[in-house]
Amino acid sequence: MAILIDKNSRIAIQGITGREASMVARHTLAYGTPVLAGITPGKGGQEIHGIPIYDSLKAACQEHGINTTAVYVPPAFVYDAVLEAIDNNVKLIWIATENVPQHDALKFLHLAKEAAVIIVGPNSVGIISPGERMKLGAIGGDNPDRCFPPGRIGVISRSGGMTAETSWTIKRAGFGVSTAISIGGDSLIGSTPCDLLALFQEDEGTDAVVMFSEPGTTFEEEVAEMIAAGRFTKPLISYIAGRFTETMPENTVFGHAGAIISQGRGRPSQKEKCLREAGAYVVRNLDEIGDVLRSLFGEEKGGQ
Amino acid sequence: MARLLEDQAKKLLARYGIKVPEFRIVSTADEAGKAAAELGKEVVIKALVPIGKRGKAGAVRFAGDTQEAVKVASEILGLTLSNYPVERLLVEEKLDIEQELYVSITIDSSVKKPAVIASTAGGMDVEEIIQKEKDKVKIYHPDPILGLPAFKAREIWSELGMSGKALLDLTATLVSLYRAWADLDAYLLEVNPLVITHKGEVIAAACVLGLDDSALYRHPDLAGFVQMGMERAWRPLTELEKQAVEVNEKDPYRGTARYTEMDGGDIGFMCGGGGGSLLMFDTLLEFGGKPANYSEFGGNPTAEKVYGLAKVILSKPGVRGLIVAQNITNNTQVDLVAQGLLRALKELNIDPKTFPIVVREAGVNEDEARRLFLQAGIDYYAEEVSMREAAQKIIAKMQEYYGEGSR
Repeated sequence: MAILIDKNSRIAIQGITGREASMVARHTLAYGTPVLAGITPGKGGQEIHGIPIYDSLKAACQEHGINTTAVYVPPAFVYDAVLEAIDNNVKLIWIATENVPQHDALKFLHLAKEAAVIIVGPNSVGIISPGERMKLGAIGGDNPDRCFPPGRIGVISRSGGMTAETSWTIKRAGFGVSTAISIGGDSLIGSTPCDLLALFQEDEGTDAVVMFSEPGTTFEEEVAEMIAAGRFTKPLISYIAGRFTETMPENTVFGHAGAIISQGRGRPSQKEKCLREAGAYVVRNLDEIGDVLRSLFGEEKGGQ
Repeated sequence: MARLLEDQAKKLLARYGIKVPEFRIVSTADEAGKAAAELGKEVVIKALVPIGKRGKAGAVRFAGDTQEAVKVASEILGLTLSNYPVERLLVEEKLDIEQELYVSITIDSSVKKPAVIASTAGGMDVEEIIQKEKDKVKIYHPDPILGLPAFKAREIWSELGMSGKALLDLTATLVSLYRAWADLDAYLLEVNPLVITHKGEVIAAACVLGLDDSALYRHPDLAGFVQMGMERAWRPLTELEKQAVEVNEKDPYRGTARYTEMDGGDIGFMCGGGGGSLLMFDTLLEFGGKPANYSEFGGNPTAEKVYGLAKVILSKPGVRGLIVAQNITNNTQVDLVAQGLLRALKELNIDPKTFPIVVREAGVNEDEARRLFLQAGIDYYAEEVSMREAAQKIIAKMQEYYGEGSR
């Protein structure tokens, strides 16, 4: 089992004919994930890698019963693409695009919430459920098996690149991944770690979750509250990068737009303290993740 | 994020019907005196630099007459605030202040809504006052689609104890401020203080305006106003940082290469992506290493971009080693990383036999990358080591080359 994407996902790519999106579509098909339709206004009726292209998402939905979309349109068109997906009752909208205007994100996140639609991203590298051989986005590139063997550990990462490295660390320790999610690096994103942990809590295919965090945001503080309240009861292993930023002058921004240190909230040391007190396994280096997994589940469970 | 200087911010607010003090911009003390004479009354002289808390730094001062204006101006012009030398001043009419209030509009990312903060306690110590006297502050989260309706703005001020003409004028001002914030794609609009004068006028005496870089394409008229690359605003960009910005902007559509210079240090730091760089920097410090810079590169950069970044990193005086490491990448062609880096080393006459280098790059075309690096005599790793182990290797190599004292 998995969260967000599985064998029931019926996927379309909005903006499929762009350079990045067409390459990702090819890799996605090669991995074994069906991509049922692509949307590029003005190119309806054409095909790309054998995937039919439509002028509107509505037409694609009528033909293929789309319930999941990957948004690859340029920043100025993301707002419209998300509205189009909401309007067509798509249940999961995953957004790759970087540099989405913040005021647009405020609006479409609000509308999605009102419509009970899940958004992951913007500025996400992707989602992958290896046991289902389903992926959205560039995650894993042309060789997803390198970092994402199937297994029972969930992965949540603020950093796109570290989604792969964190999963590879899990693999190196002899374990595998149920679903790995790059949540996006922007300051405004759809699904937060708490939202995803609620899904992992219900997922019978996930025994524990590893989370890679960065400075800024209040995500980890919220997760600590969630654990303390008994709303997430599986083991959570947390690694928070960027401790050094606490010694930098104020106003310094490192990493993604979200990595803004302000008023103690968002400081790595503060996050670590909250999570540790709530009962999470806070590791000081990524390589320790394997030790914690082995102590929790023993050696023999790896990859199953 | 693009922060505007105060004069530009005030000009923009004026477009939305918000009253601002009359002002002049000057760059010498004599000009300041002339401006004060023109304004014909007491003036406020402010350093025009893109940082906050100028008042506490002595860079916002009053002058009663022309002579005093010249003196005060010459003193402020000699200051450097948070590494920004003061080169220009804003000279503006001093307001007859009856009451100082505070307004800010920003994005509250924890609730994913706009946040309007209004307070009847404005001025220099607003943060502390707001902490202590909670009844003097209202925080309201408008619906992102509907915005801030007038009735809500009226409620806010009324509940803060305002009444009569002031209530109506403050309501109109707050609605206009929200409209400016929304129209301009601002992430922060702060007016402190928002002043009510003896005559009962509501005037934005000082303001901070930051715009969303990602939305600047919607505001071509602001292109000249906005200072880009302000995200590292604790000091102006150094020469090497400017070079790195050039390298990055030359080919903005493929890959990113960011560089921040650190004080001192001897290990050139060429890492990526965002999260991976944070991890590597923490790890080097943990093992006693001294990185000479921070960097992030990724997104499948061209060999040219890698070369440009490597040259910047290796050009900093005192750099005598190099760590190149990324997370296992989704799409980066690591053979291009090899090509770019090797070209920079060759051009700078750096010999890996005498200059410690460790590379950990796993991604597309890594067999070719391995061949290129090994041929050049550079320690290359893909999946054989973790990022942490790569950090340990460069530290060990630095010690091997330069001895224990190198740390």
